Order: sequence, then structure tokens, then C-alpha cells
Amino acid sequence: VTYRIGVDIGGTFTDFTVVGDDGQILVWKEDSTPRDPVAAIATGLEAVADQLGHDVQSLLASTELFVHGTTIATNTVIQRNGPRLGLLCTEGFRDVLYFRDGFKPHRFDIHYPHPGTFVERWLRVGIPERVNRTGDVLRPLDEDAVRNAAAYFSDHDVEAVAVAFLWSMMRPDHELRAAEILRTLNPDIPVVCSHSVLPEIREWQRTSATVLSAYVLPRIGRYLRNLEQELGVRGLKRPPLIMQINGGCARVDEILERPVAILASGPAAAPAAALHYAQAIGGSAVGADAVNVITIDMGGTSLDVCVIRDGRPTMSRDIFVEEQPIGIQAVECHSIGAGGGSIAWIDDGGALRVGPRSAGADPGPCAYGRGGSEPTVTDANVVLGYLQPDAFLGGRRQLRFDLAEAAIDEHVGRPLGLETVAAAAGIVRVVNANMASAIRAMSVERGIDPRGFTLICGGGAGGLHAVQLARELGIGSVFVPAEAGAFCAFGMIVTDVRHDHVAAHHLVTSSAEIELLNRRLADLERHALRQLTEEGFADEDVVLELSVDARYPGQVHEITVPFSAQTPLHVSDLREIERRFHEEHQLQFAYRRDELPVECLHWRVTGIGRIAQTKERPSVEGGHDAPTIRTVSAYSLEDGELTETAAYRIDDLRPGAAVRGPAIVQVPTTTVVIGRRDVLRLGGDGNLTVDVAAPVSGTIPTAGAVLA
Amino acid sequence: MSQVHDPDSRVEDHSWREGGYDPITFSVILNRLNSIATEMTLALERSAWTSILALSRDFSCALYDAVPRQIAMFDALPIHTTSMQLVVAEIASSFEGDINDGDVFLCNDPYSMNTHVGDLVTAAPVFVDEQLSFWSVTKGHQMDTGAFVPSSVTASALNIWQEGIQIPPLKLVERGAIRRDVWRLYLANLRYAELLEGDLWAQLGSIERGRQRLLELCAEYGRSPVLRYVEAILDYSDRRTAQEILAMPDGEYVGEGWVDSDGVDTEHIPVRAKVTVAGDRITIDYTGSGPQAKGGANATYAVALAAGAVPILYYISPDIPHNHGCIKHIDVVAPEGTICNATHPAATSCATVVPGDLMQDVVNRAMVSAVPDLVCAGSTRCGNIPQFAGERDETGRPWGFMMFCNAGAQGASRDNDGWPLWSSQAGLGGLKSQPIEQLELLYPVQIEQAEIESESMGYGQWIGGPGTRVKVTPLSGDMVCITFGDGCANPPHGALGGTPAIGGGQWVENEKTGHRRFVSASGNVRIDGEVEAWVGVSTGGGGYGNPLDRPAEKVCADVRDGLISRATAAEVFGVALSNEVNPVVDEPATRKRREALRTVERPIVEPTVPNAATWVTKNMRAGDEYLLNPLI
Repeated sequence: VTYRIGVDIGGTFTDFTVVGDDGQILVWKEDSTPRDPVAAIATGLEAVADQLGHDVQSLLASTELFVHGTTIATNTVIQRNGPRLGLLCTEGFRDVLYFRDGFKPHRFDIHYPHPGTFVERWLRVGIPERVNRTGDVLRPLDEDAVRNAAAYFSDHDVEAVAVAFLWSMMRPDHELRAAEILRTLNPDIPVVCSHSVLPEIREWQRTSATVLSAYVLPRIGRYLRNLEQELGVRGLKRPPLIMQINGGCARVDEILERPVAILASGPAAAPAAALHYAQAIGGSAVGADAVNVITIDMGGTSLDVCVIRDGRPTMSRDIFVEEQPIGIQAVECHSIGAGGGSIAWIDDGGALRVGPRSAGADPGPCAYGRGGSEPTVTDANVVLGYLQPDAFLGGRRQLRFDLAEAAIDEHVGRPLGLETVAAAAGIVRVVNANMASAIRAMSVERGIDPRGFTLICGGGAGGLHAVQLARELGIGSVFVPAEAGAFCAFGMIVTDVRHDHVAAHHLVTSSAEIELLNRRLADLERHALRQLTEEGFADEDVVLELSVDARYPGQVHEITVPFSAQTPLHVSDLREIERRFHEEHQLQFAYRRDELPVECLHWRVTGIGRIAQTKERPSVEGGHDAPTIRTVSAYSLEDGELTETAAYRIDDLRPGAAVRGPAIVQVPTTTVVIGRRDVLRLGGDGNLTVDVAAPVSGTIPTAGAVLA
Repeated sequence: MSQVHDPDSRVEDHSWREGGYDPITFSVILNRLNSIATEMTLALERSAWTSILALSRDFSCALYDAVPRQIAMFDALPIHTTSMQLVVAEIASSFEGDINDGDVFLCNDPYSMNTHVGDLVTAAPVFVDEQLSFWSVTKGHQMDTGAFVPSSVTASALNIWQEGIQIPPLKLVERGAIRRDVWRLYLANLRYAELLEGDLWAQLGSIERGRQRLLELCAEYGRSPVLRYVEAILDYSDRRTAQEILAMPDGEYVGEGWVDSDGVDTEHIPVRAKVTVAGDRITIDYTGSGPQAKGGANATYAVALAAGAVPILYYISPDIPHNHGCIKHIDVVAPEGTICNATHPAATSCATVVPGDLMQDVVNRAMVSAVPDLVCAGSTRCGNIPQFAGERDETGRPWGFMMFCNAGAQGASRDNDGWPLWSSQAGLGGLKSQPIEQLELLYPVQIEQAEIESESMGYGQWIGGPGTRVKVTPLSGDMVCITFGDGCANPPHGALGGTPAIGGGQWVENEKTGHRRFVSASGNVRIDGEVEAWVGVSTGGGGYGNPLDRPAEKVCADVRDGLISRATAAEVFGVALSNEVNPVVDEPATRKRREALRTVERPIVEPTVPNAATWVTKNMRAGDEYLLNPLI
């Protein structure tokens, strides 16, 4: 048997997912060890190997794919405990990072603090040099100034340097030469150049991406090299791949060229996981019947939402980490403070609010009995009977019903004049409304109608809310994968290797001059192919995806439009680009101007090295035709009160079994709640699907109260 | 229209019938309305044609009910969103009896309760169950109105006819059909008609998106439940606003400041505010302010209402939805014929910023003793935000843009140093500045420098944001520069012991001879494409609190980072430092200095007299000249 291993380090747990080529899947959680993250990986691998009847050496020796996601880079940025940085920039433009885009968020909060920068101003050095928009040199590089800066940096203990000159993507010579001088004079100080991190217009984003790269480079360089070596020593033959925010993975060497690519990369694996289930939800990952999916991953503190339309996740170049732009193409993931630990409170206008403050893992919800005193979403789910005190985490943790009840009563029930149960139901409805807003922000606000999409839910708390949430959004189908609890770790081992390449080339579709464009595209494609070939991908496993950033002539912002034409492009292929652009424009902005041609700026080629699909999981055995049904007292959305409700354990069900709601179905890593006319089915592969019923008369519980 | 949601189920639902509200449905609908305004905003920003909308975000999107009362807005430009109900009401009354499903109205007329001629309102009535139920509205700043100079904001216009096309409420779309003749008439009056046609489309797209989403919301919940919950949402803001104003000490508070000039020849025009806090209401009375200006530096009533109310909106919790329930607690009195409320046909094209920005600042000056923890020190008042224009060499076609990367900074407030690139009180930091590379790509200019200006801010326990120094060279022949700001001669004030900022200024420099023409805060100048460059040094924000209370470590970092000099650290902040590039604080010497300086009493607001800035006199060299409100 050969294996694939996904290891995802999170704040609380390090998640392991192991898939054998026989289709068996093993999910394991190990406590994270933030001081020495490799320790948790080592311990976890031992535990996993043991369960598979291996030692670590033999497990790794038979591992063909090892994908790793790490929050080390993200945490370095969030905690701001990275190295002291220096920045070389064009003279006269030392404050690009500080000025940002001139926009202060939160208009009416005049006390909102400036987020600061990652290079202090005295270490930002302006160098006489200038290139213009066409790539011509207006002022040659002052090499002496660079030498002086090198001495200055070394005198003041700078540990890494970013070089970001204006218009360097049009002519990188000055950056290259400056980096060469710096490296010669300070061989121990790493240098990162903006034209290689993000060769695109917009100096703030490019400088920021470069600075963040330099900021995390020393630490992740040491960490990833060490990991690579340790895994090699323990028997791993193919070097590990690292998860990137673009939704694909890459080798350590490539990551270290552009370290910003691994910031906030954890949730970016969700689309890969979702596409893995494309067939199970009745579609495919690509092509005409490519799936439309919304993924939610709900854990203790936050909810992450991704949208996949026609098999493609929504991508964005406007992603921020710690209020700093990362600039690169990223899987767009909308994250809000809505998790099991989110705290419910009454604002001074008497409105019930949930989150964004969270009780976190410590003290955690009141029901954990670890000192929490403010009611959380988990407490509400306990009071409503959805989380059974003796069945939480497979019975590993006993929940305190009384503490949950008391907290809800005190902080929500009494102030609003609601019974405890009505108050708990209110908390769940408000958090659902917040989650629905997050999903709308990713769909409706982008012109995407979520009805007709499938909602895939992951995370420990996802199953409790997914069906109701779907109902609120008009979504008819919910899918709960067997791996729901380790959704993203699973995504990592089914994701592809992915490299994004971009070239700036201006073209208006009314023109017929496409020869130069074809040469540029050919260069990009050749580069993408060579990279993947060197990584060992056979031709048939390589896919190149083309897209272009386009706008109406005179417009300022672009839309990235994918197109399917084969290169070299013919003039007629430009019609496809126009058509797709007009359609997308109408969808997003509610108007189109067919009378105009389309202006194209950046051409993108994404090189994808397909990782073979895992085998289908063998059919689930066991279960009973007449499974044991416990009845528990749980809240009925239809009746607005506690009623006797059927509760099932997934192990008691046979594949193919259907459960009609209202019911509670306990899966090892989550609990799924369904309403009266919903139908849940257990697939042969262990995954659950729910047909979500439309609401009928009286589905909104009677709260019977006026606002306080 | 929804297969899943059954509106009847919601209508039949529960308690609101008995006069109550389900608090949960309340939160859901509040969320949805905000989300609609957000979606309208994104659609406009991402699809607009001119950089003033697409990059600088000089527009606002909001929703009104049939009254019309504001029910939701995106957190956009406060000078728009705090009084936009006035122009919607004007449109509604002009067309009473002739408002139909599918109509779209335009208005930019300052005397139809619009802010100023540059702001174009597009409004779509939303009919639900065949009844006018809502208005979906955007207001966007147009880069051109066909005025006598290539700018929609010009201090030198002497009446509304010089400001360009005036559009009283007008029907652009009739029952879904665009009136092509009207469309062409509008565009025929504009420079950059192709770009502005695109902007018009973007505004139409935005209100259409708002209309669609409101229809969907009503299809899900039913029209009357939605309207009932809108009432609850307005009540909620009302209740929360009342609580916050009740917590402010009752009384009358006065503030005074000065507008640099009337755009023509009169300087230092007073703006006075008396703020009365009484129970849960606040009245701002601008009686006593100077007579209306000759040029465009006049407020309209829509500006007066917003400018008076905006500071109050940031004194209260930023979490309170800024709808009618909130806004109605604030009254503004602005006597006609004054600079705070000019009469027809006075020019008003600068209204939102001059005198609008100062009208906000004087409220802060007045309230400094009443709510010291909530006020902001003086901020930049749109100084050095030039509109450049010219003709392209290759085609001779006009180009132009308003540049925000030279904007001045925000004043400090309790616990917070000011932000840079604040632009204007009108936007409260919501105006974005364009990337240098985008500017150079889109327009024939080269930006030679864009950096922090050292010692440009007011000092205090919290310091104002730094001003900027920007140098621009034309690349395609001559270019003109139209500025329309304020606050160079009368700089942003310091509060509670903080010092004023520099005020700053602008000049045109001949790079061969070194001769410089300094220009007042507003003026029109031509920049010779062969030998001249434009330089703007914008002001920082005012300081807050006594500089002696700023932690010495922060002062040390300010010196290290070049925000202030060592001399200022010693003389104003009383901080003694070692001599290294990365200095350390000399604690004993600092203690001693601070004790000695503490005996000097610091004013609660500074300056208290007009024309307090000294920047121009300090920076002019022999042979330089100073031009007040020059014309091209």
C-alpha cells in the first residue's frame, strides 16, 4: 500500500489525513506544539504509523505524496515577531507602505489606529534610480548609494532586505543589480526583489508582497529546510509539497522564492477538497457539468467561506493579512468571527449580537466547565439539545448543560424577556444570519446566485448549522463529507501542484495584432511546462489554464476572465474573450456595453500538475437495517419548542439509509441537524447528503418578544 | 420569485402583528439592507471609468424608503450620506404623480438640495406590489461638468453658470427606456464625455443592483413585514443615538475658524458654530458666519446639514446604523446669504470641502470642552488635491484627473495619532489615493516624489498625521492645475494643548531658473511643459493633548523615523536624546526638561486668530512670488 499524507498545522491542533491507495482514509488530530512545530508532526506521524501497522520509517518510505500546510508564516506576521527588515526603494518614495491606498477603514471611528508597516521608516532607504511606465531608464541606478545602504543595514542589524523600485516589473535590471550588490556585501542577509514576487502594476501591493516575503523568509526558510531534511532522514523519498494561498501546492524551493504565497494558505485547500467530492455531489470538477459549490468550514472561532463556480474557486488579488495586502492571486476566502466559541451579547440598543469575540479554546464555551461565563454558540446548541452532553467529541468531553443554560439565561434570556430555549434559538438564528451574510458577501454581492449551489460543510461545528443556513439561502442540497472534521487537511492531499505566471501585454480586442501576444503566451506556457516537467509531471498530467485581466477601454479596474481557446490564438479567439467579458461584466455590475471592444492587460497562465485522484473509498460496512434510535429532547424549528427528536449514530446506519427529519445524526467529527421535511442519506462512501426542504408556513419560531 | 422561501409563511408569522418585533428577523433584515448598500458600492467602484470614482471612491450609495428616509448606507462619504435624503425628496416632489416603475432620475443642482454641482445623483424608485416603496440612490463626483475651467470644483467660478451644466431633477430613464436625447444633451456638455458616459453607466448599474436586491428581499419576506422591520431598524438607531447624546453634558458651546479665501479676493472669512446639546437633541447653528463668498467657496444647505452632523456621528458609537433614526437627532441652522448657506445664483462648487470641512472643524472646536475624549483635532481641509488637465501630444484629446496622493492628514484624537492622506473631512478618510504607477500609466505625468513632509503635523500627546510632499512634471506639453482647497493660511487646529499643523502650500517651480510661483490654497495655474514642475506640500493634522505627555519612547521613534527633528523633540516635547541614528532617551535630562516646560500653560484650542500659518513666509525665497487665487 502506498500513502498520501496531509499535515495541516493549526493554532490548536495539527491535523493529519492519510489516504492509502486502497482508498482507506485515516484522520488524526495531534496537539500543536507552537515552539517546535516539527515535534507535533513527529509525534503525530508515530501515532498514525502505529494505527496503520507501520513504523514511521516504513510509512514514509511508502508515501508518494506529502503535503504540508503551515501557519508559521502567518503567525509571524500576526504576532509581528519576525526579523528586522530593511527596504530599498526608489528615492522620493520611501513611504509607499505607510501611505497605503490613502484609505482609512471604519469611517466613523476616528480613533481607529493606523496598522503600521513591517519596515520602520529609518530602515527604508531611497536609492537614486528611475524607470518609467514603458520600461525606459530615466535615471540610472546609483550603485554607491546601494553600497552605502548595505553598510547601513549591516551596521544596524538588519536581518533581511526587500528591494522594491517603481516600475521594476517593466525593467527589473535595477532591482537585480541592487540585489547583487547587497548579496555581495552582506552574504548572510537574504534579499527579496519585487519583480520576482509580484511582477504587476500597483506599487503598494508589490512592495507589501515583497516586504512580507522578506519578513517570513528567514523563519520559514529554516523551518521548511529542516522539515524537508527530517522527513528525508525518516524515509520520505519525494520532497514534501507546501500548500499555497492560490489553492495549489509547490516545492520548498519555489516557496522560498515567493514566501508570501504561503500566508493564510490553510483555508485555500477547501476548494480542492470540495472538487474532490464533485462526483459524489453529482457533477464533475471540470467541463460542462463542473460543479457549483459553496464551502463552509466552521471551527471554534471562525467561519471560512469559499465559492466555487463552474469548478473554479473565486480568486482575488485583494487579500490582506494583518491589514497588509499580499497582492498575489489567491483563493478568496471570506472569514468571519462565527464559530462554536463566538459569544452572544446584547448591545446598548437592545439587539442580540453574536461574535466576533470568541471564548476560544480557553476558557471555551460555558458548557466546557472551564471557567467560561459568557454564552456561546456551542452553549446554545447544548441548550437546544443538538449537542448531547455525553456525546461530544465521541464522548471524550462531558458537557455541562446547567452552565450553558445559566449563562444564556443571564446574558440573553432575561434582558430580552425570552425563555432560555427561545434565547438559545435566537443565538443560533443570529449566528446563522451572520454566516448567511458572509456567504452572500462571497456570492450575491459578486453577482452569483447561491441557489442551485451545493453547500459543503466542514469543521467541527459546521454540521449543526449547515442545513438551516442552506435553507436561509435557498440552497437545496448540503453535503457533509466523512472527513468534515479535517476538511482542509484532506484538501491538501487531493490538491494539485499549481504555479501562476503572468505577463503584461496591452491589447484591445478590436485590433488584429496578436503575433507579439502569441509569442508572450508561448513563453509563459513554455516556462510553465518546463517547471512542471522538472518536477516530474508527465505531459498528460499537466494542464495549462489561460486567463486575462480585461476591462472596457478607459475603465480602471479589470476582471480576470478565463478563456478556453488553444494557443496560438487567432483573431477569432478574441471574440470568445469579448463574449466572456461582457457576460461577466453584466453579472458583476448589472450592465454591459456590447458596442465597445475589450482592453486586455495581464495575461495569466496557470500551470497545474495533476495529482492523481485517490481511489474511491471502499464501501462502508456494518450498520443495521433497523438502527437503534435514541430520542432526545431537542428544539424543533417548526414548532418553536423542545420536542422528542430522533438521534442516530452514523455507525448504526447502513450505506444507502435515508433519515427523514427532524433528526440529529452524530458523525465522529461533527453533528448534523436536520429539520422536519429534510432527508439525509448515507452514501456508500461514508459521505452524507441532505435534501433541504423549502420552508413552510410557520417555520420562523415565535419569539414573542419586543426588543428590549 | 424564490422557489424556496415562501413569503406567506413570513407574513403569517407571529409577533409583529401584535405590535412587537421578532428580534432575530430584525437582525437578519438589518444585515440584508447593509449588504445591499455594500454590493451597490462594490459594483460602482469596480466598474467606473474615471479614477475619481474607481480609485478614489468619491461616491456614496444609500437606500431610502418612500418618505424618503435613509434606511441604509454604505460607510462611504459622510458629506453625502448624512443629507442625501434632501435631494431624493426634491426629486420625489418635482415628479409627484409621474414616478413610475423603471424610471431613473438625475440631479446635480445645488439649489435642488444637492451638495454641489460636481455630485451627480442617480435615483431609481423601487416599486413593490405596484407601490413606490424604496429609492435606490447613488451620488458620484463627476470629474467634469463643462465649467469654464477643466474641473467640476473651482473656487474661481463667480456664479452657477460658470460651474457648468446644472441639472435640476430630470428623468433620464422612462419606464425602463433611456431617453437618448437627454442622454446626449448631458454628455454634449462635458469634457471627457466617453469616460463620463462610463461613469454614468456605472452609477446606473449600481442603483439597478440595489433595486434588484430590494425586490428580492421583499419577495422573500413580503413588502409589509420588510417595511415594519425598517421601522424597527430606524427605532433602534433612534434609541441608541438618544442614549449617547443624553450622556453628553447639556449646554451651549461655541467654536470659530476661518476659511482662507472666498476664491476671489476676500481672505479669512469667519465660520462660527454654536452647538446646543439639550437632552437627546443637538443643534448646530452657524449664525454669525461670514457673508456668502464671491467665488465657489459656499455651502449649500445639504452641505450645512451634513457638515454640522458628521462630527456628532463620530462622537456616538460607530456601530449605530446611520439611518434616519440617527440623523434626525441633529438640527442644523444655517442662515441664507452666508458662506454656510448661499443663495441662488451664488457659486457653490467647492461646498463639500470649502467651507464644508471647516464647518465640521468648528463643531470640534466648540465641543472640545464638552466631550474632550470624542473630538478630533483639526484635519486637512482638502488642501493640495489638484485637478490636473491638458491635451495629449499624440491625439490632442483632453486628459485630466484629480490627484489624491498629495492629500494632507487627519488631526489627532484621544489615544490616536492622525492618519496620513486623509484628504478631507467630507470623506473622513474614505477617499482613496491612486497608486503612483496607475497615475503614470493613465495620464501623461511623472511623479518625481511622494513622501512624508517632516514636521508638518501638529504636536501633542498624540500627533497629527504627517503631511506629504509631492512633485509632478507634465509629459505632454503644458498642463493646468486647478486647486480648490482650504486651510493653508488658517491651519488645522490643535486641541487640548496640542499645536496646530503647518497649513502647507503649493508652488510652480521653473527648473531652469529656480523661480517659484507660490499659489494660495485655491487657484488656477498653467504649468509650462518644457521647464516647470508642480510641488505641493500638504499639511499634517493638528495635535491633541500636551506634547509633554507623549511617551518619550514614541518621541524617540518620531525622531529616528524623521517625522520630527531633535530640536523639536527637545523644545516642544521636552525629550532629550542621544546622537545615534537610532537614538535612546536620556531619562534624567528629559525629566528635568519636561518639568521646566510644564509651567507653560497650553490653550484648549490653537490658533484662536485668523491667518496663523507661517509656512509660506518661512519657505519663500528672494525672487519668489505669491499669488492669491490666480486665474489662468
